Amino acid sequence: MRADLRSPSSIRERGDPSLATLIQQVINGLSLGSVYALIAVGYSLVYSILLFSNFAHGGFLVIGGYICYGTLRTFGTGIWMSGALALAGAGLAAVLTERLAYRPIRERTNVTLYLLIASMGMSIVIENIFVIVAGGRFRALPPVIPTAPVNLMGLATTSAFDLLSLVSAVVFLGALQLFLSKTRWGLAIRAAAYDLRTAGLMGVNVNLLISIVFFVAGALAAVGGIFLSVRYTLYPQLGAITIKAFVAAVIGGLGSLPGAVVGSLILGLAEMLTAGFISSQMRDLVVFSMLVITLLVKPTGLFGKSVSEKV
Amino acid sequence: MSAFFELSGVTKNFGGVQAVSKMTFSMEKGELAGLMGPNGAGKTTIFNLVTGVYDPDEGSILFKGENLVPLKTYQVTARGVARTFQNLRLFQRSTVLENVMTAAQHHVPYSFIEGITHLGRWRSGEKAIRDKSMALLERVGLADRAEQAAGTLPYGHQRRLEIARALALDPELLLLDEPAAGMNAEEVTSLNVLIREIHRDFGLTTLVIEHHMDLVMEICPHIICMNFGAKIAEGTPDEIQNHPEVLKAYLGEEEDE
Amino acid sequence: MSGYTEGILILLCINAIAAMGVSLLTGFTGIFSLGHAAYMALGAYTTAILTVQHGIHWLPAILLGGVVAVAVAYFIGVPTLKLMGDYYAIASIGLGEAIRLILENWQSVTRGARGYPGIDPYTTLPVALAFFVVLAAFMFNLINSRFGRACKACRDDYIASSLLGFHTARIRVLSLMISAFYCGVSGALLGGFLSFIQPVMFDMLKSTELTAVVVFGGLGSMSGSILGTAVITLVTELFRPISQYRMLIYGAVLVVIMVLRPEGIMGNREFLSWVKAPFRRRA
Repeated sequence: MRADLRSPSSIRERGDPSLATLIQQVINGLSLGSVYALIAVGYSLVYSILLFSNFAHGGFLVIGGYICYGTLRTFGTGIWMSGALALAGAGLAAVLTERLAYRPIRERTNVTLYLLIASMGMSIVIENIFVIVAGGRFRALPPVIPTAPVNLMGLATTSAFDLLSLVSAVVFLGALQLFLSKTRWGLAIRAAAYDLRTAGLMGVNVNLLISIVFFVAGALAAVGGIFLSVRYTLYPQLGAITIKAFVAAVIGGLGSLPGAVVGSLILGLAEMLTAGFISSQMRDLVVFSMLVITLLVKPTGLFGKSVSEKV
Repeated sequence: MSAFFELSGVTKNFGGVQAVSKMTFSMEKGELAGLMGPNGAGKTTIFNLVTGVYDPDEGSILFKGENLVPLKTYQVTARGVARTFQNLRLFQRSTVLENVMTAAQHHVPYSFIEGITHLGRWRSGEKAIRDKSMALLERVGLADRAEQAAGTLPYGHQRRLEIARALALDPELLLLDEPAAGMNAEEVTSLNVLIREIHRDFGLTTLVIEHHMDLVMEICPHIICMNFGAKIAEGTPDEIQNHPEVLKAYLGEEEDE
Repeated sequence: MSGYTEGILILLCINAIAAMGVSLLTGFTGIFSLGHAAYMALGAYTTAILTVQHGIHWLPAILLGGVVAVAVAYFIGVPTLKLMGDYYAIASIGLGEAIRLILENWQSVTRGARGYPGIDPYTTLPVALAFFVVLAAFMFNLINSRFGRACKACRDDYIASSLLGFHTARIRVLSLMISAFYCGVSGALLGGFLSFIQPVMFDMLKSTELTAVVVFGGLGSMSGSILGTAVITLVTELFRPISQYRMLIYGAVLVVIMVLRPEGIMGNREFLSWVKAPFRRRA
């Protein structure tokens, strides 16, 4: 994977088996995991409603990153404004993707294979639009998100960035939780996750609901994208990291939101602990091994819904 | 002496719901029997248990003396059990003929190598499969539609196709799950005729699920009636018709409306 | 014939062989896989190592490349093919990436991410054509046999299939193994054509390309997959000056086909049925 361009201290301390390293990597892991969570939750949310894997989810992440970068660079707006624009933009892109690519297929057939392939196509389209328009260079976001080292009660040093991404994830996911549990649309979404057709028959405007779900998923992905572009710099293939969020969602259980969060944290921790104590090369291999093991042992993951067919 | 086909004390729970409860009945070889009951009585679950889609929590299912319970679905079929489905499970994109050939090919083996080289027994094997399938299609009156896509057939014809496909397995026990569902009176009559003919000509032991009384009463001399997963009556059509439990199960439903 | 045209024809043969493998798996057996480039990689690297480091003749080396791909497919296929739909697709991504990462990092054997140069250019036009013709013949025969019907049954309704006596798990594994063989041979031929292979040549983009070709040609049509390969290979060559658009076009093709015509160019028909149709006037 791309180099971690944050604090040099993390490079120095790698391989040093001390408590400080452990704590450091745990925090790194939680921070990374929380970013994964933002992406995985959106992805799992879509899965819970439509029962298909939206492989284009990474595209929304990239859109969010570039909008944020673009507005920061070009218009000099503050991080809050840029962030908001990025969320809105990515959310809209998600809704558009659904309208243009998925809805026509959904309306005509119930073969999810076609949706899978279309989502694969959209993912490539979005990534390559940015390749052509923005060029493949790595861009560093203007340093509006603090990355200064922070000393934790003398036990270890971490960066403000890690803490910030953790806090942001908590805030956004908390907001999502409130939305789902306390609002009418949240209730409709939970009903639809249980049984989409029945929710429609009960009077829920299914198309509008799906658009809302995609908007939320896109917006969450954008937040993740912004943090990832600080961590790894911004480039069109950044969306490829979504595969790790997929893995997290699968480990936690496709379709389960708490599962996506738990899976993401586990994955983030696993990655960082591997990078810290074994080697950076093994990181990705560990991720994919965890995926394969999960699929072999318990494909529905920790909390996933198993869809059984009626015979 | 054990019967040809026998369920003993079969029970199946799904979560907290008891779908089938201590089901016991038997059939002699060559019998034509009906399994009746209101919707949700557990009839299709019985078929699923027999064919290995579900495993029973208790009880045994004996066919020709062998317990089918530990077997997997494809093994049950290999033992000579064939079924049709309540909601039709045809291969929609394939032709009518291909649907039947897919089933008929089981009894006409040729090896993988012969398959990829088209040598050896491939030609004679394919011809045999095709001829057998066409003969069955003639039987159910679909021969002229052999090259049509199965999904484009009218509903009644699709049901006949499924029966033809099941027959192509050369079964010894045929399970028909609501073959008359969605048919009008005229179609039901001709279906009755078809089932009786098949039963007679192939000498097949046949068990028909229906929840409409007309079909089953008319053609099945032996009827088992279920409600809420349990057997409530068993006997001839006359006995069933006047059985208080049966009347309660059916009329009782209507009274609540 | 110019070297350039010859090169395109060779590439066509190579891509078509892999496409046939993926067609069997995805179009005919209904298993959506996004990790198939890994089998090409396994074939390519096995053959490269055998010919370069052990001096084995390319013919047995290519076949062994295919065999290695089959063996790996079997070992990872048996446990994972129990998964349906999306789950298998995700597993295939994970497995494909894992294999690529292993190839990238096992420097002592594969020379890592820098690539494996110096492969003998054994893939001449006659060689490529010969492999294509033989493998195509086998494949078309296969789908016109009981095995082909069995695959289609598993694709269309795996529950009904098992209730019609098919051991669906075994059929799926067999289909995977055959598709892995075809991809392995294709990869081996590719190595002999470019004289150089690199793990990044067999990444998810390549897997997607394989799937796109099959989708474009029509899921369930073998001749469609070959036609799709021809179209996409030729278009790729035409677009080489603007190759940055190449991927964009792939992606767009996938989406457009799924939205407008999911059955692809040929649906589930084969060339021959178009030819035979006027003659088929039976009662």
